[in-house]
Amino acid sequence: MPDLAILSQVILSGIFIGFIYALVSVGLTVIYGVMDIVNFAHGEFLMLSMYVVFWLYALFRIDPIFGLPVSVLVLFVVGVLTHKLIVRPVLDAPMSAQIFVTCGLLVYLQGVAQFLWSPSYRLIQEPLLSGRLQVAGLNVSLAQGVAAIGALLTTAFVYWFIEKTETGRALQAVAEDRQAASLMGINSDRMFALAWGIGAACVGVAGALLANYYYIFPTVGTVFALIAFVAVALGGFGSVPGALVAGIIIGLVEVLSGFFIAPAYKEVTVFALYLVVVLVRPQGLLGEW
Amino acid sequence: MEETIVTEQARPFPIKTLILLLLAAALLAFPLVVSLPFPRRLMILILLYAMLGQAWNILGGFAGQVSLGHAAFFGVGAYTSTMLLMQLGLTPWLGMIAGGLVAVALSQLIGYPSFRLKGHYFVIATIVLAEIVHIMFTNWDYVGGAVGLTLPLLPESLINLQFHSGNAPYYYISLALLAIVMGVTYLITKTKPGYYFRSIKDDPEAARSLGISITRYKMFAMAVSAFFTGVGGAFYAQFVLYIDPNSVFSFMLSVLIMLIPVLGGIGTLWGPVLGAFILIPLSEFTRIYLGGVGGALDLVVYGALIMLVAIFEPRGIWALVERFFGGRK
Amino acid sequence: MKRKIVLLLLTLLAALLVACVQEEPEEPAAPAEEPTEAPEVDEEEPAEEEGEAEEEAPAEEETETEGEAPETVRIGVVYPLTGALAATGVASQDAFLLAAEIVNNEYPDLNLPMAAEAGITCLDNAQVELVFADHQMSPEIGASETERLITEENVVAILGAYASAVSNTASQAAERLGIPFVNAQSTSPALHQRGFQWYFRTTPHDAIFSELMFQFLADLRDQGTEINTVATIYENTLFGSDSSETQNQFAEQYGFEVVANIAYPSGTADMTSEVQQLIAADPDVVLPTSYVADAILMMRTFEAQNYSPEAILAQGVGFTEGSFLETVGATGNYIISREVFALDLQENKPIIGEVNTMFSEMYDRDLEGATARSFTALLVLADAINRACSTEPEAIRQALLETDIPSEQIIMPWEGVRFDPETGQNVLGTGIMVQALDGQYQTVWPFELATQELVWPYPAWDER
Repeated sequence: MPDLAILSQVILSGIFIGFIYALVSVGLTVIYGVMDIVNFAHGEFLMLSMYVVFWLYALFRIDPIFGLPVSVLVLFVVGVLTHKLIVRPVLDAPMSAQIFVTCGLLVYLQGVAQFLWSPSYRLIQEPLLSGRLQVAGLNVSLAQGVAAIGALLTTAFVYWFIEKTETGRALQAVAEDRQAASLMGINSDRMFALAWGIGAACVGVAGALLANYYYIFPTVGTVFALIAFVAVALGGFGSVPGALVAGIIIGLVEVLSGFFIAPAYKEVTVFALYLVVVLVRPQGLLGEW
Repeated sequence: MEETIVTEQARPFPIKTLILLLLAAALLAFPLVVSLPFPRRLMILILLYAMLGQAWNILGGFAGQVSLGHAAFFGVGAYTSTMLLMQLGLTPWLGMIAGGLVAVALSQLIGYPSFRLKGHYFVIATIVLAEIVHIMFTNWDYVGGAVGLTLPLLPESLINLQFHSGNAPYYYISLALLAIVMGVTYLITKTKPGYYFRSIKDDPEAARSLGISITRYKMFAMAVSAFFTGVGGAFYAQFVLYIDPNSVFSFMLSVLIMLIPVLGGIGTLWGPVLGAFILIPLSEFTRIYLGGVGGALDLVVYGALIMLVAIFEPRGIWALVERFFGGRK
Repeated sequence: MKRKIVLLLLTLLAALLVACVQEEPEEPAAPAEEPTEAPEVDEEEPAEEEGEAEEEAPAEEETETEGEAPETVRIGVVYPLTGALAATGVASQDAFLLAAEIVNNEYPDLNLPMAAEAGITCLDNAQVELVFADHQMSPEIGASETERLITEENVVAILGAYASAVSNTASQAAERLGIPFVNAQSTSPALHQRGFQWYFRTTPHDAIFSELMFQFLADLRDQGTEINTVATIYENTLFGSDSSETQNQFAEQYGFEVVANIAYPSGTADMTSEVQQLIAADPDVVLPTSYVADAILMMRTFEAQNYSPEAILAQGVGFTEGSFLETVGATGNYIISREVFALDLQENKPIIGEVNTMFSEMYDRDLEGATARSFTALLVLADAINRACSTEPEAIRQALLETDIPSEQIIMPWEGVRFDPETGQNVLGTGIMVQALDGQYQTVWPFELATQELVWPYPAWDER
């Protein structure tokens, strides 16, 4: 049995990375919840936002913390454009065509990133959030700690927005029944665009926070994308609290199984967990249908 | 929604038959006319992927179950035949069938639980299961682990399924495999399972009320699909003579196997063939002409074209061909 | 309506990009402007090569090139130019171009093979022309591109393919078609043991490197440093598992205890559990084997978890690749790595400095292990073609077998280049140990080549 310090360190790290998974997944689940489409290019959105803050840092010496709002804004626009340009035409097409189009976007964005920014690994070397805190004998990297808290706050904000605001309720109405919503005078196309904007803005936050300590690379999105798909399905497609819970569970399971079993199998346990959960609850942990 | 194959019988179309015959003749004559290895290799890949796409189509197109985990069947087929060859010296021909059967077994194992899931839950489950298989093989030392397996070079012969002096035999084998899968698909669409598949896809509730065992027919579609994907994997192993988990189990391979029929026309007999003839050369040529400068332009163009096709013809390019012939709506 | 606009936008973009590409090649190729197109030669050759490919055995009777020397000698380069290893691939591309520049023009001051006179002297100063292909890290594509370069681009030899898994299949294709395959960087020990006739590897392989790492540790132990335990942490790929396996073997041979072997999936999102396992195992020396992305993440995690073993001794690659130290900044200091090359070797070998000056002027970066080996491989090949005095594959193969380049004429710390006739492995290759000090790798072993005092143990993170 490892000593308590190591064990609590492992658990803490699992929760930290879990919050990041949660935030990436929340973006995905909002898009899915409103329009039943899985955005396979979601990881590439994350990559774009990391490059946004990187370039702000490299060119204008703007720290990622201040680059964050810019990243959110840019990603919101990217999300809306994605909807307008490539998703709207396939809205009524079969699921396979929707998968097809976002897979195309995935390849396209990776190619563009490498073409424009070269396949070099980038890292923000001296962010304001650097260094390490010692809290009750645990090592907490400042950047990771702030990223975790930021991710949690953003997730809470998105939840509040969807549940408590007028616009949020309109989003839900469109998600429920497009026809009925339009009878109530809700412009469903605008709501779809908004969902894409919010979904992408979530990774805008996640990317900016991650950029404080993670490497930046044209294919960095794939590292997080698969986990995010699983988290969204595990939590229940379309459920924001579900994505949060699933993100944390995945983070914990991954780190604990990596530590106790073997790092080589840590993803297997995460995937197996998903299968077990959906076999018992085919709609995911907090899914509604 | 309706399938083209119905058309062919309902309304015999001489021009179509003629085109088919010409196509078959051209395919048969290809290696005689073209002797350069690279175009031949390209054609072999096209035929192989057409076959894989068609195998996917049986499950994804006709029975409507979108799988993003077909790499698992492909890889299992490749590993089975290779291990049988290396451990027991079994001819790859039997290995190929064994590979297909192991893939069937795996498919039933995967299918049984996951067919209870709907829509995207099913899609994610297939991805996850394939990834589990991928990771297991990466860590399984008996089958070479991450290092993979290099097939022993055997004297060139049909029984060894290895040809070193020229790749024409590989070409004809892949052509034959494609023909078999096309034939099986055609048969399925013409017989009871095909009709059941379609009713399961279009209206599962109605199918159930008619007394069709949905799960049984989904499992059947999965088995056929997995078998041919596994056979394709075994052929690939013989053709490349080296397999490792990252090249035969990768998620991107699953995606490619799905993209081909979706691009060509999902749930149609000729869609996967058309898709392979477009997608494979597209990716090869963008790489050759745009990839060498290191700017990833090949990916940019490839990705853009995929999006364009999806936007302009979400039902796949075969729909365009149909419209051109004006046979049906 | 909207669709039309989208189409317009996308096609415009595509057209623009395609237009860019047509201009692009001129830029990297600029230094090697010489390669003049020779249409007649180019068109005649395909027929010849094709016949050869069909007959499999290298046909000797083809002597058409003897009479009039070709104006260009085409060499195929199959490297990862997109994807996770693209950075290294593109850097290697630059190194090959510089080597071609040196072969193609007169550099009488450089003491390198083929430098003094312009082009392949024996073939009427024929220019070396490089044909690049991208294998995207796929073994299948690697083989297919090799085949295409040989049969359609009429290259006389192949340089490839960086990643061991791809070199495996690519060299197999070259073997089948009877064209020399020169491998500059792949270090999997299995590659030269396949009994191939056409495979030549200039770089030392991982078994040699792993042994050097333990010789280094044993040397330190003999000097009184206390080292008992080691742990390997490696990415779960061909490269990683080979490396860990040979390290375990040599650890036993040299009397060190291996307290943990930790395999992790490459491209993982988080490395906490791996690092915590290391902390729990508490080895004196950590032996990581990784590519760049994971190397960056690993070091950041060490720092975040405040983990400092006695030493970090890396199996090169990710830790020594050009961008690594630059990217991680101060976090990378004090890492020790096995290396094939270091810039400070120029104190003993001035030629390294001369070549590096040219390289950094042209491409705005310094030479490092990968690029220096690419550079060397092309010179070795050009030297063989010159001695073969022919573009016949068999003649080039024979010349490669007779290669004997002395240590002074290469920019590597090797004792020279001479291939084992059975395996094609360079038997004179060796390595060094370097340590990152102030953002630069400095040679610290063998002690007689050292330019810096070794810092041992690895300083704690708070004491820097």
